[in-house]
Amino acid sequence: MGYQFITADSVPHALELLERYGRDARVICGGTDLMVRLHLKRLPECVFINIRNLEELRYIREEDGMVCIGAGTTLSTLENSLLLLGKAPALFQAAQVFADPNVRHSATVGGNIGNASPSADSAPPLLAFDGQVVVARKDGRRLLPIREFFTGVGRTALEPGELVTEVRFKPNPDSAFVKVGLRNAMAISVVNIAASVDLAQDGTMKDVRIAVGAVAPTPVRAVCAENCLRGRRPEEAVIRQAMDAIQTDIKPITDVRASERYRRIVAENMMRRVVLKACRICENEGGAGR
Amino acid sequence: MSEKVAVSLKINGKEVTLLAAPEQNLLRLLRENGYVEVKCGCEEGDCGTCTVLLDGLSVKSCVTPACACEGREVWTAAGVSRQERIGRLLRDNFAKYGASQCGFCTPGMMVTGVNYLMNNGVPDRQAIRAAISGNLCRCTGYKKIIDAIYHTAQELRRETAGEGML
Repeated sequence: MGYQFITADSVPHALELLERYGRDARVICGGTDLMVRLHLKRLPECVFINIRNLEELRYIREEDGMVCIGAGTTLSTLENSLLLLGKAPALFQAAQVFADPNVRHSATVGGNIGNASPSADSAPPLLAFDGQVVVARKDGRRLLPIREFFTGVGRTALEPGELVTEVRFKPNPDSAFVKVGLRNAMAISVVNIAASVDLAQDGTMKDVRIAVGAVAPTPVRAVCAENCLRGRRPEEAVIRQAMDAIQTDIKPITDVRASERYRRIVAENMMRRVVLKACRICENEGGAGR
Repeated sequence: MSEKVAVSLKINGKEVTLLAAPEQNLLRLLRENGYVEVKCGCEEGDCGTCTVLLDGLSVKSCVTPACACEGREVWTAAGVSRQERIGRLLRDNFAKYGASQCGFCTPGMMVTGVNYLMNNGVPDRQAIRAAISGNLCRCTGYKKIIDAIYHTAQELRRETAGEGML
């Protein structure tokens, strides 16, 4: 049958096409992931449903205290958003170090999470904000917690006929993102991590959410580390406990980019750094660890 | 093999209709049709030598679906360095500062540089480094490339200041 390429001219049109082609359909927007897989001959024949022309999916806006981002919004739009800079620095910082400036002109938020790479840079911030994914289909739509969205390497909870149209979350200015890659641009993360902290007047962390990527089949919340930090001050002894605890949250593998051992060491040190950065104790460096 | 479809777009200011396969990238479409100034390096989005302007934004043509360019406007390095004023200035400075050694990364560097300059690029070496961070030069002649973009930014700024005085 070969490949087919159909450009949708509206969201309803895209949903109709997705329903018609079912499992054969594959949504394409920026193309920065799918074109690489095509080149490597790792993409089975399919019908591309092109949503690049859908301007209605490109927006960042605030609604009832939630930040809503259209799935077709490019990473370059995110890194230029004053709203995100002020209210959701974790996502803003992730966009700044995502791939490179030219890829960011094409790559989209919906594509980055839909591709479900364990190292997707936009995933840890969205998880740390406990965000939601708006999923549309021809006969309706549903809200899915982002925690339930990723189900495995390259796998999501999306069903045939469904399209991610928006991600939304309650923003938090006390949030941060840190990434370790092998070069300064176009680096696939060895470890990426985001933290969002609710600070009380006395400096204790009323709540803290940490999410980490490239250390498990999907980006994950570091629940054990969070439990160590919750209700306490970001002090040395507390952070050291959380550094030990994050080891039970993650399950890294050895691959071309890094060994399991290296990822474990990097993960705990990056956790320290990102928590301090979110608490605005130390903006850039958090010390090299133990 | 998938059936090719007609894609109408504007390349370097000229309307053309080309045949593209559904799975084809913009890079191959351009090269097959004579725009060989767009170089094919890694074809995985890593090296940046295939960078073109798509609707005024620099993108890597190897990871851009050809069929998604229907109705859009593409500028290649050859196009911008001949027809766009900023491109001509930058081209001359590439020559002046020796910013092209083996030359393979040059088309991508030119386009990324033009994109930087078009978007109010300031003469700031750190910002220029960040802007070209996705374009690899394996001769490692980055300093001269940065010099060329930096001096073009300075010239453009001087011109704008001159206009202000008139």
